[in-house]
Amino acid sequence: MNTETKKLALRSGNQMTAEGAIKAGCKFFAGYPITPASGIYKGLIDLLPLNNGIAISSPDEISALAYCVGASMRGVKAMTATSGPGWALMIETVQYALITETPVVISVVQRLGPCTGGATQGAQGDILITEFATSGGYTIPVIYPSTAKECYEMTIEAFNWAEKYRTPVVLLSDKEIGMTTESVDYSKLKISATVHRHLISENDADFNNWKMYGFDSPEMIAKFAPVGSKVKVTATGSAHNTKGSLKKNDPETLAVLKHLEEKIQAYRDEMVLVKEDHEEGSDNLLISFGITARTMKDSVKKIRKQGKKISSLTIFSMFPVPDKAILKAAEGCKNIFIAEENFSGQYRMIIEPLLKNYNVLGINKLGAMITPDEITERIMNL
Amino acid sequence: MNTIEQCSYMTHGAVMPFCKGCGHSNILKKLNDALGLLQIDPHDVCLVTDIGCIGLADALFDKVHTVHTTHGRSTGFATGIAVADKVLASGKLKTIVLIGDGGSMIGLLHIVNAALMNVDVTVIVANNFLFGMTGGQTSSLTPEHFNTITSPFGSMNPSLDICSIADASKAGFIARKTATDKDLTETISNAIAFNGFSIVEVLELCTEHGTKRNDIKGNMLVKMAEEEGHTVGQIKNSDSRAEFSKKYHTDVHAHKGEIKALKYINPAYEHTLKFPKEIIISGSAGERVQSTAAMFAEAALMCGLEVTQKNDNPVTQGSGFSLSEVIISPGEINFTGVSSADFVVAVSENGLKEIKAQDIFNRINEKTIFIIDESLNIEKKGLNIITLPLRRLCGGDKAAIGAVDYILMHYDILDHNAFKLLLEKRFGTYDKIFKEEFYKL
Ligand code: SF4
Repeated sequence: MNTETKKLALRSGNQMTAEGAIKAGCKFFAGYPITPASGIYKGLIDLLPLNNGIAISSPDEISALAYCVGASMRGVKAMTATSGPGWALMIETVQYALITETPVVISVVQRLGPCTGGATQGAQGDILITEFATSGGYTIPVIYPSTAKECYEMTIEAFNWAEKYRTPVVLLSDKEIGMTTESVDYSKLKISATVHRHLISENDADFNNWKMYGFDSPEMIAKFAPVGSKVKVTATGSAHNTKGSLKKNDPETLAVLKHLEEKIQAYRDEMVLVKEDHEEGSDNLLISFGITARTMKDSVKKIRKQGKKISSLTIFSMFPVPDKAILKAAEGCKNIFIAEENFSGQYRMIIEPLLKNYNVLGINKLGAMITPDEITERIMNL
Repeated sequence: MNTIEQCSYMTHGAVMPFCKGCGHSNILKKLNDALGLLQIDPHDVCLVTDIGCIGLADALFDKVHTVHTTHGRSTGFATGIAVADKVLASGKLKTIVLIGDGGSMIGLLHIVNAALMNVDVTVIVANNFLFGMTGGQTSSLTPEHFNTITSPFGSMNPSLDICSIADASKAGFIARKTATDKDLTETISNAIAFNGFSIVEVLELCTEHGTKRNDIKGNMLVKMAEEEGHTVGQIKNSDSRAEFSKKYHTDVHAHKGEIKALKYINPAYEHTLKFPKEIIISGSAGERVQSTAAMFAEAALMCGLEVTQKNDNPVTQGSGFSLSEVIISPGEINFTGVSSADFVVAVSENGLKEIKAQDIFNRINEKTIFIIDESLNIEKKGLNIITLPLRRLCGGDKAAIGAVDYILMHYDILDHNAFKLLLEKRFGTYDKIFKEEFYKL
């Protein structure tokens, strides 16, 4: 073992999220304390001043996100972090970011709900509420790492998506990933290149054709104009045309509303983050994410040891749903198990319609982590 | 309809979309004139508008940046814009919020916090005592006895004095004016020029809903406000507090060198582990249970092992139990919970209670070793229990540390020297940390 190249530290998912944000070029953070997300707030309060940025405390979650969206409109990469109860308060502002196509990253570290629920208990119960937070059902990209190391790597990804697609992105996590510390070897981090939003300037050749929300094709994402630059910004949370002017029911305005979704759909194939562990000839596919994806790995080892074949799929890019990757992983299987720490099988509900030809089964639990034995027994006893 | 002819910040010839006689037209003209008076580059102005009739202003100002927000939140967005501009960008931007009386209450905490922060934002509250756009409903700034569609017998509550709230929030610039005041332009321009948070409440009438239900005219507004106990005029103009970005620079940024950067751990020690080891440490809050677990975890890392540490405590962090589950392993650790503990440590009554509450007896095996303080008693039969005078020899605050030290002294898990080094860094010479007897256990 060559120990000299190792860069070891004990880090929590929350700390790695904060560090990943710095690497991604985040310059602004506004935070409001909430267990189990407060570690990200503290992390960035310490790190941002060292990295030419600023982190501030806000008087509530609504302010936290409004500050971030405002800062992003001024042209800087911004982020906040919360848990379910705070996310509930942010939903209006997330929609504002979505309709104004303002990049912002919101880390949602899940805890047990509903409502105040269990502040120090883990859960994976905010999958539907993070995704379906918009009137109109627009796709909010959601990325869900499962280890501290992945928290770092995927925070960068979340910023990259936000910047590239001009959209709010949710970085989903959970109490177990956010607060558990683990050994991280920094020399092994896979660091994606940092993406910055394209800015428009008066001197650009395309300036005369430019509109803040303009597009000629679904995949076109207009260059961004920061408030305070020489290019006038017109932003509104109301339905608007390509110039940003409030317009009721005119075809251009409806096209802008549709484009908010079409631009994400246009890129869905490049927004796929999954990890497949395929076993040839297996009838069974186990799907999971977040903390339960870790449990899944141990279960897969146990199941194989007991002589049963099993494939697994860890999903990181929860939304847009990586449909092709799921179907590819399911090929040749009969039974698809979806393990998640919530009572109703939230992600199962989402992907079940894709899997009409399969026997889809949920492995669910409330109030504590699903254990490797619980998954193993369920699958062995099928 | 009023049209604007000669102006630099509004659309040339803009038609005011407001009802005849509505005070909003006047306020916006004065805002335009105020900007003209200051001769600000339009690109250095951001108008942040709220929901409501006054929020229609964004469409009229085609030269400046306009951000039309969600209801009540305009000051929140403006705060983000202003902080980012002053700390991270040009620092030249003048951010102006236009909000109605209804919005000022739903967004009150944004206004309060912007004032407390003293960000360079100007909030203009167009106060016509009701929600105009939605049909004339009562707002929190509706004076007592004022008639609205939802207070047909007169408003039951007194009106909120938002200028007093701003004063209590330490705003430096506060004025309450009427839309027809001759010096409104000057007041607004002074507010915008003010380096820090400023608020101008402008009293005016909604001709669609307000004047129809109440026997009131524009020249009665001052009297009405005064009857409510509200001061009219320039209430405060003091720049004694530093604007936010200046304060941030001296209070935070100047200290950035004092923040400790992350140091990597050097894996200089050895281990002989072939399989993972799982340990649960439980005790009382404030007795270094979780920090003991963290030191053990760090020692494992120093020996080149993989580690996870999962903590648990009640929501009140300083009382009740404190518990940590640590797994160390020569290979990757996936599931972070202890499923079959090798060691269970309980150093206080709270800790043992929690071990029972979490049914940790179901997460052990026949070889599990329990290390408990002599003050505790586990009634369960058939367990390997080692009872030690931990609290007596190590003190309550180091009983957990003593327990882990004992484990490392007697069982071959990882190099005891790694843990000793961490102990010495924190508590001084190893032989002096605990009472002498402890080392002979
Ligand atoms: S409804 Fe009232 S506030 Fe709105 S434009 Fe008409 S007069 Fe003005």
